[in-house]
Amino acid sequence: MKISLDWIREHVAVDIPRPELVDRLTMIGLVADTAVEREGDLILDLETYANRPDTLGHLGVAREIGALLGLPLLEKDWPVAELAEATADVADVQITAEALCPRYCGLVVRGVPVGPSPEWLRRRLEAMDLRPVNNVVDVSNYVLFATAQPIHTFDFGRIAGGRIVVRKAKRGETLVDLDGRTLALAPDMLVIADESRPVALAGVIGGRASGIGDSTRDVFIESACFDPVSIRKTAKALGLATDASYRFERGADIAFAPRAALMAASLLTQMGGRATRGLIDRYPRPPKTRTVRLRLRRIAELLGVDVPEDFVVDVLSRLGFRVEGSHKGAWRVDVPTFRVDVSREADLIEEVARFYGYDRIPAAAAPAGAPPSAANRKRERLARIRETLAGQGLDEVINWSFADPEKEAAAAGGRAPVPIRNPISNRASVLRTTLLPGLVENAARNLNRGLDGVHVFETGNVFSWDQDEKHREDLHLGLLSAGLRPGESFMAAAAETDLFVVKGAVEAVFEALRFDPAGFAERDHPSFAPGRALAVLCKGQEVGRLGLLSRPLTAAFEVDRPVYAAEIDLTALFGKTPRPFEYVNVPKLPGVVRDLSFLMDRSVAYGEVARVLGRLDQPLLEGFELVDRFADPPVPADKVSLTVRLRFRHPQRTLVAGEVDRAEQEIVGHLRSALDIQLREGKIDIRT
Amino acid sequence: MATLKDRIDGLRKTFEESLESADAKGLEELRTAFLGRKRGHVTLLFEDLRTVPPEERREAGRLVNELKDHVQARLAAAEARVRTSAGASAAAAAGRPDLTLPGRRRYVGARHPLTLFEEEIERIFLGLGFAVEEGPEIETDYYNFEALNFPPHHPARDQWDTLFIKDDLLLRTHTSPVQVRVMERSKPPIRIICPGRVFRRETPDPTHLPMFMQVEGLVIDRGVTFAHLKGTLEYFIKALFGEKIRVRFRPSFFPFTEPSAEVDIECLVCSGKDPSCRVCAGTGWKEILGSGMVDPQVLKNVNIDPEKHSGWAFGLGIDRTAMFAFGIPEMRYFYENDLRFLRQFGTK
Repeated sequence: MKISLDWIREHVAVDIPRPELVDRLTMIGLVADTAVEREGDLILDLETYANRPDTLGHLGVAREIGALLGLPLLEKDWPVAELAEATADVADVQITAEALCPRYCGLVVRGVPVGPSPEWLRRRLEAMDLRPVNNVVDVSNYVLFATAQPIHTFDFGRIAGGRIVVRKAKRGETLVDLDGRTLALAPDMLVIADESRPVALAGVIGGRASGIGDSTRDVFIESACFDPVSIRKTAKALGLATDASYRFERGADIAFAPRAALMAASLLTQMGGRATRGLIDRYPRPPKTRTVRLRLRRIAELLGVDVPEDFVVDVLSRLGFRVEGSHKGAWRVDVPTFRVDVSREADLIEEVARFYGYDRIPAAAAPAGAPPSAANRKRERLARIRETLAGQGLDEVINWSFADPEKEAAAAGGRAPVPIRNPISNRASVLRTTLLPGLVENAARNLNRGLDGVHVFETGNVFSWDQDEKHREDLHLGLLSAGLRPGESFMAAAAETDLFVVKGAVEAVFEALRFDPAGFAERDHPSFAPGRALAVLCKGQEVGRLGLLSRPLTAAFEVDRPVYAAEIDLTALFGKTPRPFEYVNVPKLPGVVRDLSFLMDRSVAYGEVARVLGRLDQPLLEGFELVDRFADPPVPADKVSLTVRLRFRHPQRTLVAGEVDRAEQEIVGHLRSALDIQLREGKIDIRT
Repeated sequence: MATLKDRIDGLRKTFEESLESADAKGLEELRTAFLGRKRGHVTLLFEDLRTVPPEERREAGRLVNELKDHVQARLAAAEARVRTSAGASAAAAAGRPDLTLPGRRRYVGARHPLTLFEEEIERIFLGLGFAVEEGPEIETDYYNFEALNFPPHHPARDQWDTLFIKDDLLLRTHTSPVQVRVMERSKPPIRIICPGRVFRRETPDPTHLPMFMQVEGLVIDRGVTFAHLKGTLEYFIKALFGEKIRVRFRPSFFPFTEPSAEVDIECLVCSGKDPSCRVCAGTGWKEILGSGMVDPQVLKNVNIDPEKHSGWAFGLGIDRTAMFAFGIPEMRYFYENDLRFLRQFGTK
């Protein structure tokens, strides 16, 4: 809202240095985004608040300044040159939709010579960045920006029968507005009509046919009050936003309507017109004055400071409230009609606080006796995941929750995406069902910019419809690895990443959260290349996928090198019970380590070896791990050589070689019968 | 003869001494000094043999040849030693590893700056006894608006321009619905912060995006006042930006708080000295968060009696605050995930 300091001075004799004024306005909540000196005037661009339509005109801002500086509002007379002819004899106003138009005032000004406005008026409008049109239109704009009350002027000669009917539109009615658009009216829209047809869209925009033109002689001035919700719905439905609708949808001052009409009439008669006698004022049900009880103690209770009683009375009175005698520490405060935002005690306390000054309210420490802050397990787990993956060398990314439906389809996750009804763009018109496309996009972007490797993760929600047409929101973890993995130094060069980087990261996350061991099963999935995908399992339930991303998915982002990725449903995972953390004493007795090297058919997976070893009933076998695997000559082409390290330990005593030998023989026997392994030269290390 | 022998002994001694401390370059110099074809000591000795009486020449020749063999053998061995120990093991073999070589380092991933900044905020409030609460990102109109005292069709909704899924289903425009849900299910005292993603139908520009991160806070208890709001938020801002930062509270309007306050901090970029400052537009102040006393209607909506309990709330955009704190000019950098941008925050 533009505010001209010159114009303000019509209403209040403010005379403090301009920077000080701007600062002090800020501290009562009237913030100027810009303050520009122009031809001796100061033009402020004030931020507006949806609840303060009274400050959408100079009068309201002047009232605030008056209250701030202790200056009275200057009253101005608006004399009207009247004809003998009574308004009621030439015009008639009928409201058929009373709920949508609680008050309607009007009068006619005859013989207005339509032409350019006087210099002072042009200056006022130009300060508002408005282009002067003609004196009649300029007067209505002047009244609006002066008082925040929108008025409308009709060419009275174009109002059939001199009858104004405020009614809802009829089905099929249209109106060509002042800008020449043909508006299709809906039956819930309020219109101003004459005997036969709509002549204006009430409170939003006038019709072209009844607009002021060079041929206009007589002007009908409308100053009314319309229902804010109705105006807003109509304006939104038609995609219109005018200075009038902006004010009406926030709430106009119902008491001010007649005065605004007279202001306009006065100005038009000063330009040579003559007004009809008396104002038509349809005001069937004037609302009761709003009265709010304000307790002095409550001010201190909410603000934490004792505001002097006379300050409260003084400031509220200057703002236009009527404050009636303090009774038992409480006042009855009558709210003026222009303060549509005030209906409760808290609203009044805000007024007191604004003018008392937020800076004068002390800063106090929070009272003791705080409730214990509950740990948020989910966030702790997420923090642990981030820490673990950073340790695995992955950078954290955050991608949009929106997705391009085509790229979403390339990921082919199989979930039904949730569309956004009014998206910013059609490339961001659904909510993501998977984190993978976002991560691939990150890979594409960074590889294109010359990075030789991208290893990233993200945690975030994905969305979908479930079978019952209800929306789901699931927390996912996504990982991606493509290109070179940095070496530790010049002594260990960077190497191309592989599927096991991603798998290892998933294993590390499961371990960090004590959901270990992570389970994996070879299972194809449309996001991944056939035969290069694993389902990730926790306690037998599938909670994610990992593998080499499918060609169509990476091609959708124009990435042409192998991309490995994983996606874990953390909502599902966090629903599981992790193994409890248990402290175990460090063993005091030495164990025995034996490395077992053997050949096996290449078609047998290592997972089979692990499964057989894992199921053994060998109380002395503490654990095992794969330490070597190779399949190059001299190993025969159909074989693979594995070395598995077996760790033996007895909890109570030192092992003797004989019992380890026996256990080892049994293990070899099991592997032989289950997997047909051939022991390589029996080099057995004994270490502790 | 005696003089020649003495000369040879002296040269041998000099050679041995020089050899001991010679590096590759030293060895080359030593070779030239002894075996150089014109001025080499050994070459000169051979020339001088001509001056030795014939009867002693044989013995002298043997001595000079012995020296020549010795020098050649020793040099060859030393040179071989230096050659084979080229590179990293060179210094090691010489007993002196090259400690100026770069160390071995494992790359540790960088945390996203928004996560880092959010956690920093979280830590401050955890220290003040706040709990962290979260809620859904797809919300209903009731939780996002109505319960927060936004009547249907109210212009106040314009500032929270909304992305809709269905008539009654939307992407939350702030994390305030979490506050409502927590107030519904728990009794005061309440002391929470609610971080999370929020969505608005904003046309992207350097400081607006349709998705960003927010953290809101809520305190409900008996006897909570605006003075507590000021005290806690001042503490928070100083913890985040440093003890010396100036803070101001000024009136504002939000449907869900009454009175409402906007909180500004002094412009870290220009300290109010640059009238065309990109960050504060010359005002010297930078708006950092919105706050206020919880509106009595909001309390009533969740069955908390505003006569018995009062509270305050705040909301802060993590992105914009992080932009301000780190001097990042464009909000979209956070979501472009350029690793050259992100990795800088590995050291934050």
